[in-house]
Amino acid sequence: MKQVNAISGQDLREMFVAATGWLEKSSAEIDALNVFPVPDGDCGTNMLLTMRSTMEEAYRAPDRSVSAVSQAMAKGALMGARGNSGVILSQILRGLAQSFAEKESFTAVDLVNGLQQSVTMAYKGLSNPVEGTMLTVIKDVAAAVQAQVSSDGGDLISVMESAVNAAGESVANTPMLLQVLREAGVVDAGGQGLYVILDGALRYLRGEMEQMRFRKPQIIVSEIHATKLPQMIAADEVPYGYCTEFLLKGEKVKTDKIRSKLEKKGESLIVVGDESAVRIHIHTLDPGEVISYAASLGTLHQMSIRNMDEQHQDYLEMQKDRAPAVDMAIITVASGDGLADVFNSLGTSAIVPGGQTMNPSTKDLLQAVESVPSDKVIILPNNKNIVATANQVQSLTEKTIEVVPAETIPQGVAALLAFDYEANLSTNVQIMKKAMSGVKSIEITRATRSTKIGELKIKKKQPIGLLDGDLIATGKNNADVLDQMLAKLDLDKVEVITIYYGADTKSAEAEEISSRIREQHPQLQIEVVRGDQPHYNYIVSIE
Amino acid sequence: MPVRVVTDSVADLPPQVVEELGITIIPLNVRFGEEVYRDGIDLTNEQFYQRLTTSKILPVTSVPSPGTFAEAYDKLAEETDEILAIILSSKLSGTYEVARQSIGLMKRKCRVEVVDSQCAVMAEGFLVIAAARAARAGASLDELLGIVRGNIPRVDMRAAFDTLEYLRRGGRIGAAQAFLGSALRIHPIITMKDGVVEPAGRARSRAKAIDHLYRFAAGYSHLEEMAVEEAACPDDADLLVERLSTKFPKERIYRSKTTPVIGTHTGPGLLLVAVMGDK
Repeated sequence: MKQVNAISGQDLREMFVAATGWLEKSSAEIDALNVFPVPDGDCGTNMLLTMRSTMEEAYRAPDRSVSAVSQAMAKGALMGARGNSGVILSQILRGLAQSFAEKESFTAVDLVNGLQQSVTMAYKGLSNPVEGTMLTVIKDVAAAVQAQVSSDGGDLISVMESAVNAAGESVANTPMLLQVLREAGVVDAGGQGLYVILDGALRYLRGEMEQMRFRKPQIIVSEIHATKLPQMIAADEVPYGYCTEFLLKGEKVKTDKIRSKLEKKGESLIVVGDESAVRIHIHTLDPGEVISYAASLGTLHQMSIRNMDEQHQDYLEMQKDRAPAVDMAIITVASGDGLADVFNSLGTSAIVPGGQTMNPSTKDLLQAVESVPSDKVIILPNNKNIVATANQVQSLTEKTIEVVPAETIPQGVAALLAFDYEANLSTNVQIMKKAMSGVKSIEITRATRSTKIGELKIKKKQPIGLLDGDLIATGKNNADVLDQMLAKLDLDKVEVITIYYGADTKSAEAEEISSRIREQHPQLQIEVVRGDQPHYNYIVSIE
Repeated sequence: MPVRVVTDSVADLPPQVVEELGITIIPLNVRFGEEVYRDGIDLTNEQFYQRLTTSKILPVTSVPSPGTFAEAYDKLAEETDEILAIILSSKLSGTYEVARQSIGLMKRKCRVEVVDSQCAVMAEGFLVIAAARAARAGASLDELLGIVRGNIPRVDMRAAFDTLEYLRRGGRIGAAQAFLGSALRIHPIITMKDGVVEPAGRARSRAKAIDHLYRFAAGYSHLEEMAVEEAACPDDADLLVERLSTKFPKERIYRSKTTPVIGTHTGPGLLLVAVMGDK
């Protein structure tokens, strides 16, 4: 078996060139792991850019001694360090350079000392070193290398093997040490990057340059599944269609041509390889198209297609269930999936189905109150006939109940929007009542019977319009009624009109009505929302 | 030899203030793909917002390299024995860590203290201005540390966003993520508390959002500093300045554009008011 007892400056440089190339292949995946310290999803790219700057400088070394090359690398890393991981990486390289000073080549013992120095430098650099990160990984690597050298001696290939194995184990263990990783179900991104760099260096020493061209570094998978999604989700983790990856083997394959052809088919396109083998990676909405194109050029291998939107949907579902982080809960009464979405998205803890002609019972409201994890509960009845029911809940529960007497959906929405995360219960009730009074509500429905109210003659099933509960208009169709009602309002002081259309109403009609209002009142912000509410064709909020 | 003050580009200090008070600004970096720009140096605000809205690649930001800080410290050390660095919230960026680490890389001997401002933009900027003024007046580094720490609870800000998408992408959204996924179009209002982004309110219209900013600043009983900053919405900023001028002398309101690093995380349409004072 091949043995290496000393490494020259030139070999050190080539080793890290190989490691940088190796890192490049997985930098996007490392980006995706990035949740700590800031989940900005660029850890892999930052480490890669740091390594590039490191290697550029390495070629400017005054001679080929390991001393000169490592000094140059440390300088390049220092000046080009990007991101937190890049900065720690530069500290590690500085440690090595300090230990290699004055040396023509380095031995296993020098490496042991160098890595110890790296650990010291990396820890010293941070005011608050956190375990379960790159720091832990480099510490574990240094310990393993020391153990290997003292038991088995100075073959640098064996030493690097022990380093890579230790790094892999250490990375896999990071979620056990750092809660944010555990919750996100990922390993530490910086640690993974370090593992890939060490692995790349080892592969160079073993003379595996050829194999490296067609392979990718191993990404260590956390054995722990995410218990909750990271509180903050990173850019590069935002999924997009299908992550499609495969190896294309053929003859005289042109990577440039493939790249330009696939560029418009999706995002995060990577096309790497040579005339006979090309690795293709793309996030696309239509993997079929990409694959049939590639299949026309040669044979496909190592095919992997992952649905990234699935993960994203799960995330959105969790978002939905997430109530604002307060000790107060808000319960609303509403019917229709669209309205439920609106209230949910604005931070309602529970929705009790109900509304006009379907008033919920006190018991229904009480159940909702008991189901939420807060001791203080605000109820938004959103209907005149439900306010009294809501007021009874207090006598049946030990929780503190406040009823904000919204009589319409728009009043309920306005009240909910005004909810202040920092204010206490009584202040919030005041703020919400005030916000509620600033909105006008129009409801358009059908007359249940023929009648005459004041001057208005109404036929059965004719569209009628209520303004804050009072019947004030009738007409031949919904648009006509709404026009009449808007004409009676002073729209100069109005900023936003929101139109919720009902389950029996076509969205095209709602759009038509809104574009007409927009034409007549260009200063208004008009929003059309699918409310799915029964009974009312339209509920219109005027703020 | 007066203490010299260092800060980062995120403090959004106007160039004339920087020059007048002799403040050293260390730029963070903005990266489009693999092109790296130094905040406010290689990329102007105009170029940046133009690119932000047209570029297919979204920018990301990164901390300054330790070498950048060390060089700046060393340069100042030729003229002074004491340096104070006031840096944006360590909970939003690793810049604070880098600023501290870089002390160990200095070639010259000089005492350097780094303070976590727990904020950003001109709220951070006010801490820097107050410190730089006191330094000019002869305050020692220890006295300056006391001044900055005393001022941290006295600075505050409110920012009206057009969208929280950029903040979410950049991973800095914090508790304000409760505002995401709204089925209605809302104008989120954000603040910073203990160094992290927090929700402060939501308005149904831009006018209401601007009104929120006005009421926040007008609610102070005593105001020492005020700034109105914007990202590609100068008209809204003019409007807000005009309204606030009834509460605070208009000529003393700092009016600036947020730098590309902030713009990366907020997107265009950001309007904010920052103040230093007492409620």
